[in-house]
Amino acid sequence: MAKMTIAEALRQALREEMRRDERVFCIGEDIGIEGGFGGAFTVTLGLSEEFGHDRILDTPISEIAIAGVAIGAAMAGMRPIADVQYGDFLFCMMDQLANQAAKMRYMSGGQVAVPLVMRAPVGATARGPQHAQSLEAFFTHIPGLKVVAPATAYDAKGLLKSAVRDDNPVIVFEHKLLYGSKGPRSERGALSPIGEVPEEEYLVPIGEGIVRREGKDVTIVAKLLTVYRALAAAEVLARQGIEVEVIDPRTLVPLDKELILASVRKTGRLVIVEEDNLTGGWAAEIAAIVADEAFMWLDAPIKRVSAPDVPPPFAPVLEREYVPDEEKIVAAVLSLF
Amino acid sequence: MAVDITIPPLSQTMDTVILVQWLKAVGDEVVNGEPLFVIETDKANLDVESPATGILRRIIAEPGTEVKVRSKIGVIASPDEIIPQGPGPKPTPEPKAAQPLPTATGPGGQPLPPEQRNRIFASPRARRLAQQEEVLLAEVTATGPQQMIVEQDVRAYLEARRAAPEVTPVARRVAEAVGLNLTTVVPARPGARITRADVEAALAKREAVAPAGIQWVDLSPTRRTIARRMAESQQAAAEVTLTREVDATELVHLRERILEELSERDRRPAYNDFLVSIVARQLKQHPYVNATTNGERIGLSEEVHVAVAVDTERGLVTPVVRNADQKGLLQLAQERAELVRRALDGSITPEELGGGTFTITNLGTLGVDAFTPIINPPQVAILGVGRIRSAPAVHKEELCVRQLMYLSLTFNHRFIDGAPAARFLADVVRLIEKPHLLWLDVSQSIP
Repeated sequence: MAKMTIAEALRQALREEMRRDERVFCIGEDIGIEGGFGGAFTVTLGLSEEFGHDRILDTPISEIAIAGVAIGAAMAGMRPIADVQYGDFLFCMMDQLANQAAKMRYMSGGQVAVPLVMRAPVGATARGPQHAQSLEAFFTHIPGLKVVAPATAYDAKGLLKSAVRDDNPVIVFEHKLLYGSKGPRSERGALSPIGEVPEEEYLVPIGEGIVRREGKDVTIVAKLLTVYRALAAAEVLARQGIEVEVIDPRTLVPLDKELILASVRKTGRLVIVEEDNLTGGWAAEIAAIVADEAFMWLDAPIKRVSAPDVPPPFAPVLEREYVPDEEKIVAAVLSLF
Repeated sequence: MAVDITIPPLSQTMDTVILVQWLKAVGDEVVNGEPLFVIETDKANLDVESPATGILRRIIAEPGTEVKVRSKIGVIASPDEIIPQGPGPKPTPEPKAAQPLPTATGPGGQPLPPEQRNRIFASPRARRLAQQEEVLLAEVTATGPQQMIVEQDVRAYLEARRAAPEVTPVARRVAEAVGLNLTTVVPARPGARITRADVEAALAKREAVAPAGIQWVDLSPTRRTIARRMAESQQAAAEVTLTREVDATELVHLRERILEELSERDRRPAYNDFLVSIVARQLKQHPYVNATTNGERIGLSEEVHVAVAVDTERGLVTPVVRNADQKGLLQLAQERAELVRRALDGSITPEELGGGTFTITNLGTLGVDAFTPIINPPQVAILGVGRIRSAPAVHKEELCVRQLMYLSLTFNHRFIDGAPAARFLADVVRLIEKPHLLWLDVSQSIP
């Protein structure tokens, strides 16, 4: 066992998968350049020394080029891992992801697979409207894409490895405040969710959620950074006698619906936390599922703690207002009692 | 063709009546015109006839409930006819909530439309548990978010229910039949259900100290009406009784002389008939006594309709002699006798019981000297008449034997003061003591 940050765990997953399968390669902006950071957040740092520039492929600043090459290579039998420096730039490659990669398998009657991995950092980190969005809901809405969102080093490595081996396009959302709080590329206010990561081979299966904290009074479903915010809120609430169960679905598509439903059947109350904008969001979908399938078990309205329907603001003061924090989660939970 | 059974409009003043009893059960054949159900008006209990021939297919209003005039209380149809679905009787009447329910607003303070004023707001989880445990949500106190009933509230209710011992249905019936308060009954073992044996044990204890041989009798519909109206009268009115002794010697002589002149065919006037005549004349002069009230205003009546209390097997009824001030003694006697006969045999109608402006009640025939009668609402006064007895009295400054009686006037002090009531009583007394004044024009000759 080694203690690792999420960035380190992701790097190890890439290294292991590239060693295991020579069809696996990385493609992105400044991911292997000499003297560079190893991508925007150091995940690919040092990989070009082992695998060379043919497998750690630097591109011009063109997300369309990255997506086009990666999707084409995947269709031709390679297993590309593409990197967008900021998830916000996924919008540049929307046609290729939504219209081509996601639909190819359906349109070809299963003859063409697109085993693509698209790694996309998200989250508000004082970088303003175009570099700090949370885009999960856009991609959970597109049939044909799988979407994972690891919140720990263990899950980051295990899920990335599963994504590489999956024959479908998988979007891996990584939160910028979870890569680690040390090093030249750490974001201000970042957490250091350093976790035990086995040296040996393991996979975290896509589609399995996990209970981060057990409780009997209220279920909080959260992902990425908000898992930590929810756990902090649970501590506060525990002191008030409210036992919170925190569920991290880890995979957004396909969703571990049963885990959430079982928890709500136990607690009778549900709060969903996300950093994404409220309207038409992922939290809304979870709420709809529970209202549909566990209605008779609910003892209170379902609450969403989401960002308001505005772009992420630049100013740190406004951003603090914008993001769901511990205080907002506590307030939402208390409103159910 | 289905026919709706509705409550007929039997009174000008009443919007609701009590449905006392159905005379047929659902599924029974009914014939147009045969008595179908009994209602209680403010005047009497009445059989209401079936509006159609067919099968009584549906009963909407349960006995004992208050129903609006013209409202639909049931349906008659042919056996195989599909009848329109409507609100049916509830399987169990829901008791009143343990706490005032939100009425004008719902959760979050939104105004509620009138038809949802009594809606109970409970979480799905609370409803689920309540259904499982057979809890009536109306009995549960809401403490959840937005004042809704949540699971915890139902659990608290169940806890309380467990703390209070359960009662077997038989035990409950036995207790109800003998009028035993179940909270005074202790189960044999703590936490066990109260059984019939527990009730009988408690009963034995009570009977050890209670008078033996109590027979519990259900109140008849008429009795219930009387009970309700007497209680209402005493709650709503400030009742004061004035009592005055009267020398009725002249009236007794007058009556004897009149009786001597009557033929076999004539109805012999009773003292009550003289009193109705005298009181009616004086009521005409005292409009505030000849009145009714709705609690807010007083209605002074131009006409004088004197109700006379009649003791019947079913209880007290008060048929009304209409326009008594305008009728001669023999006519009054004839009319009153007929009313009494119909009251006694139960054929009296609401019209004959309604519209009185004053009541006379006479207990003299039963040997009572004086008493404090209770006003017959919506009237504002009542005259109680005692027996006429031979007694020593001072008459024209000499001690002699006279025919004396007491009159007791109860009036509603909310509307009549003591002095005007006393003046009315004095005027009545004056005509009894000097019946020859009846020949004069009362309004001018009597101050």
